[in-house]
Amino acid sequence: MRSRDANNGEDLIAGAIRRNPITKRLVASLFTVKLDKSPCRIRLAAAVFLAAYAVIAAKLVDFGLRPEAPSRDKRASSDTIAAARPDILDRNGKILATDIKVMSVFAEPRRIVDKDEAVELLTAVLPGVDARELRERLGSRKGFVWVKRAVTPQQQMEVYHLGLPGIGFQPEYKRVYPNGPVAAHVLGFANLDGIGISGLEKYIDGQGLADLQGAGFSLTRDNLTPIVASLDLDAAYALRDELANGIVKFKAKAGAAAILDVNTGEVIAMASLPDYDPNSPADALDPSHINRLSVGVYEMGSTFKAISIAMALDSGKVTLRSHIDARDNLRYGRFTIHDFHAAHRVLSVPEVFTHSSNIATARMAMMVGVEGHKAFLAKMGQLRRLRTELPESAEPLVPKNWGELNTITIAFGQGLNVAPLQAMMAVGALANGGTLVTPTFLKRGEDEAKREAPRVVKPETSEAMRYLMRLNAEIGTARIADIKGYFVGGKTGTAEKVVRGHYAKNRVLTTFMAVAPADKPKYLFLTLLDEPQGLPETGGQRTAAWNAGQITGKIVERTGQLLGLPPRFDLPPQPFPLLAKLGYAEANIPAHRNEGH
Amino acid sequence: MLRLLNILAIAFLIGSAIYAYSVKYDTIFHAERMMKLKQEIQREEDVIGMLRADWAFLTRPERIAALADKFLELQPSALSQLVRADALPEKGPRIDEIGNKLEALGLSKPTNTPGDSSAMDSVSSATPAR
Repeated sequence: MRSRDANNGEDLIAGAIRRNPITKRLVASLFTVKLDKSPCRIRLAAAVFLAAYAVIAAKLVDFGLRPEAPSRDKRASSDTIAAARPDILDRNGKILATDIKVMSVFAEPRRIVDKDEAVELLTAVLPGVDARELRERLGSRKGFVWVKRAVTPQQQMEVYHLGLPGIGFQPEYKRVYPNGPVAAHVLGFANLDGIGISGLEKYIDGQGLADLQGAGFSLTRDNLTPIVASLDLDAAYALRDELANGIVKFKAKAGAAAILDVNTGEVIAMASLPDYDPNSPADALDPSHINRLSVGVYEMGSTFKAISIAMALDSGKVTLRSHIDARDNLRYGRFTIHDFHAAHRVLSVPEVFTHSSNIATARMAMMVGVEGHKAFLAKMGQLRRLRTELPESAEPLVPKNWGELNTITIAFGQGLNVAPLQAMMAVGALANGGTLVTPTFLKRGEDEAKREAPRVVKPETSEAMRYLMRLNAEIGTARIADIKGYFVGGKTGTAEKVVRGHYAKNRVLTTFMAVAPADKPKYLFLTLLDEPQGLPETGGQRTAAWNAGQITGKIVERTGQLLGLPPRFDLPPQPFPLLAKLGYAEANIPAHRNEGH
Repeated sequence: MLRLLNILAIAFLIGSAIYAYSVKYDTIFHAERMMKLKQEIQREEDVIGMLRADWAFLTRPERIAALADKFLELQPSALSQLVRADALPEKGPRIDEIGNKLEALGLSKPTNTPGDSSAMDSVSSATPAR
């Protein structure tokens, strides 16, 4: 069947599908042209197209005439090269470490046309870029090299206006430490790529930040909660300042100081001098800039006697009313132990502490025995590495073959090298009622701290030690430190340093530990001085009470109100109730009547 | 009729095309605006971060201590300056000393203001609040 309007020539294809009537009609209608209506249709189509192009032309003219605001868009730049790190705040919310956004200049050597010109112009604008090194880097076949990290906005503008191809900017986060060297060892530092190298920065990385960054999460300031450290910035500054003054005054080689909260284990302040500014981290590599409190191991000297006496009291072999023979020097084989300012008489246990008698303390340790001594020190965490949030820690130097002689010397703190922070942990356990709380550098509550803290001594032993330390501050070696007003207890420690294999009499390491207040201890203060000298005002003496004790006194005075220590105007009526119950009523009577002590 | 339908169909076609494309361009416009705003927010946040670091730097204890030593005459606070709240002395009975002085001088009577003739006979002695 053929359609009626088949005026046009039929294709051969039409012939092929002639058999199907529907398709035949469709195909046929495609090829028909109504010639009588064509001019109208052509004119209509032309008009429509003309209108469309007229509109486009008008819009173009419009765009050309209207001044468009300069577009400040950039392509969405990915900020994930040096990703953000969480801020580190102190316990009161002040900033210890934070990120700022800086621009870094990079170069794509393959795209740079004239390398020498680029080097010349860049070194003219950017200070601190070595021309030869830069030329080498640009000459390499790499696709991306850094020119200078962290440039100022001014420098960025100047480099931009150089108009060099292949030079670009990358925004990065740079870690800054606004407080300089205060708490430098605790914070550690993070390098230009945002990787923590030491201290709390490295700890944060280890806590999953590195994993998050590696997994490609984009971390911005909003979704990173700040880390709250246990440090108090003002107390840390005061501590460092007093320590620095003390080191200069007593002409010591080095020193360290710390404040520990005995109930929560938080390190409120820590300083080790000489130290460095984390904003210029190259100084940290100097070996004299280590953190002496956790990385250095020292023979703590007489401050260890507190631990030995606590051991003897806790074992029940000795009570506060016991008497120990200190008349003669103690001989063991070819070694002789003697006392500094020997009393040459039988001493009661409080007198052993206040006179700081080596002989009597050694005798007490021998009563407990070598195995008992070792077990007690292991219980107090003195024989193994102390692990805190800081990745840097030191292994204590423990004698390989521990015989009776070792027990004798370790009783008064010579022969066992521990990190001072470990010793603080042990004395803190003696002060806080008998639980060993691991020191921490992050803010922590008391319940959380006490939850995992093992009990190491009985509460009565702890109170006896507090009484002894208080007595020491009233009438013993610590009274020279004369720390007024906070009911402080103290223990001095003067250890001879080992020089070329034997003890040098004129080079000492002095330590002073103070616990405040002695009836309900909150804080433990430690000051450590390396080779202090005697001064005319100390009568040429270089023992701990004269230097480390004085510095600790100044620290307590300056930080007492910052830390919320209640000043004691009247002495507490019954500071040691457990001792009173056990029958030691004399513990509650102050031995030395001084106003406002 | 057929022609009208044709024209209507074409008009509808063009109209729907215009609508679809205008929605598309609107979306693009808003998306770009949103991106621009996000970038501005990011820029502001960076500046805030920089200012916080600046503030921390300017209020660091070292600098404040140096400035305090230089410009203020403060001394370290002594323990005797700290007093507990329950150790404060008792407040005595409240005495109106100024009122007593005025009475002693004979000035406690209220003053008559001029132009107030009706009120002159009835002097309202408004006693001051005690």
